[in-house]
Amino acid sequence: MKLFALALALSASGSALAAAPAAEASFPKPLPDEPIPVIETLPAQWPASWVMVHDLHFGSILDGRVMIVDTASPERPVRGMVRAAQFANMLVSSSRKEILTSETFYSRLTRGERTDAVTIWDMGTLEPKAEILMPGGKRQQSVTYPQLFQFTNGGKWALVANFTPAQSVSVLDLDARKIIAEIDLPGCAQLYPTGQRGFTSLCADGAMLSVKLGADGQAVSSKTIEGVQDIDKQPLFGTPAWVGQKAWFVSYYGQIQGFDFTGDVAKTIPGTFNVGTAEGAAPQWRPGGWQVIAADAAGKLYILMSPNGREGSHKDGGTEVWVVDPATKTRVSRIALRATATAIGVTKEATPRLIAARTDGVIDVHDVASGAFLRTLGTAGGESPILITVP
Amino acid sequence: MAGFDKWTERLSRGVARRTSRRSTLAWLGAAITGAATIPVLPVARAASGSPHGGGGAANAPLVSTNPQDPGDQTSCDYWRYCAIDGFLCSCCGGSASTCPPGTEMSPITWIGTCTNPADNRAYVISYNDCCGTSSCGQCLCNRNEGDRPQVRPQSNNDYNWCLGTQSSVYNCSTAIIVGVALDQPK
Repeated sequence: MKLFALALALSASGSALAAAPAAEASFPKPLPDEPIPVIETLPAQWPASWVMVHDLHFGSILDGRVMIVDTASPERPVRGMVRAAQFANMLVSSSRKEILTSETFYSRLTRGERTDAVTIWDMGTLEPKAEILMPGGKRQQSVTYPQLFQFTNGGKWALVANFTPAQSVSVLDLDARKIIAEIDLPGCAQLYPTGQRGFTSLCADGAMLSVKLGADGQAVSSKTIEGVQDIDKQPLFGTPAWVGQKAWFVSYYGQIQGFDFTGDVAKTIPGTFNVGTAEGAAPQWRPGGWQVIAADAAGKLYILMSPNGREGSHKDGGTEVWVVDPATKTRVSRIALRATATAIGVTKEATPRLIAARTDGVIDVHDVASGAFLRTLGTAGGESPILITVP
Repeated sequence: MAGFDKWTERLSRGVARRTSRRSTLAWLGAAITGAATIPVLPVARAASGSPHGGGGAANAPLVSTNPQDPGDQTSCDYWRYCAIDGFLCSCCGGSASTCPPGTEMSPITWIGTCTNPADNRAYVISYNDCCGTSSCGQCLCNRNEGDRPQVRPQSNNDYNWCLGTQSSVYNCSTAIIVGVALDQPK
């Protein structure tokens, strides 16, 4: 190592000889030596302008990652990165000061022994603190759906969706660092935390199933809520916008449906409504993208819309964001994006910002009130930014 | 434990009540013989050519010499790809019907029905994934006609269906003719 440093020093002095003496005269003192090594750390409480952008990394899915992005800093947007391997899911808890990734690994990268694990990362250092192994090779691998990995029990437990294709849910005690229960969930998918300790799942017949968990993590009761969605005629995007423990879903055709997950059993919020329509569509405006609905702190909803809505367009991305107020069931405004976007999020800043992850990988920031484009963050969200998490 | 068994029984009965035998069979059939392919990439054909997934077909056209099997097999528009989702094996060292060297073909597949424009027959196409090597990254093709949310796994292409293989690492997708459909596609 020392030899290498010496070689570098020689090579540097060689180029210095060639430099003009006049330049040295302009700067009589050399630049100071810099300490080695220095590793950056992040503030204990992240600023409200920071978001996490999940990069599924299509070009090499086994090497996915989550980018930590300061949306207020176009000159230095990337603040760090956390590994999110092989169709991973990610959770963040500001109160625990932890990021959790649920991942799958093979001992020889693409082959060998499979290990499924949840890794707990420190939010300040981005170093791993602990891991919880999940034996059996069951973890569901999908394009990034946030509702496959969720907190419950006040953030003390995590729920992990399994798919082999038999469906089940693993309950993890994050403090004891172990799996405490596994609950079979035949015919149902996606996990929406419900009540103090439990979850709700959407089922293949259009019903919902709410499961209450006991202190040991085992299911103590369950309740079916029939007919919450018509999967053929009005399918709901699986990823809703959360306002506390209420969640607003949008259908492929723009119908908004709210659910209240505050109690042990999910409840439908009465009064569905449509985001409406507008001119200029071919053939019609529909929601389009991967993360198509977001909410601000005041409870207004933001829906990513495509003017090229048709059967099969629901993942194509959108070019406008329509802002609707669920209290009045009316559209408040339309925000034109600079390019087709895949995912949207809204920050919790005093003046909230709309963050759009474009299909070309670029992240743009807009003002939510005026819709004005404020700044671009370039490819700070990685190769294939697919999900925006506002901690 | 007895309490939990009772609860499981209640849950199973509830599911049985809610799910018709036909749909259960359909789901089991899809799960066993194979269901949807690929990791689905939510970037559609419209976006091919974008940096996502390594971009679209930059290759020169790869056209079959058989006039009964027309079209560019590296293009998302090739007739067999009517329900495909992922990287086209034709761009990855395999072909429309074969996996690249060093991969393992998933036994679990999604079956689509596509019409051949040359002979106007509807063919059953099996979209077997090739697994065990990292994402090919070439010729991303994502069509979502008929795709439904994850709650209906047999019609959702967001699951990684490299399931029955030694490794769940996804490489690319094939589109193999497995028969002539009895009925015309919708």
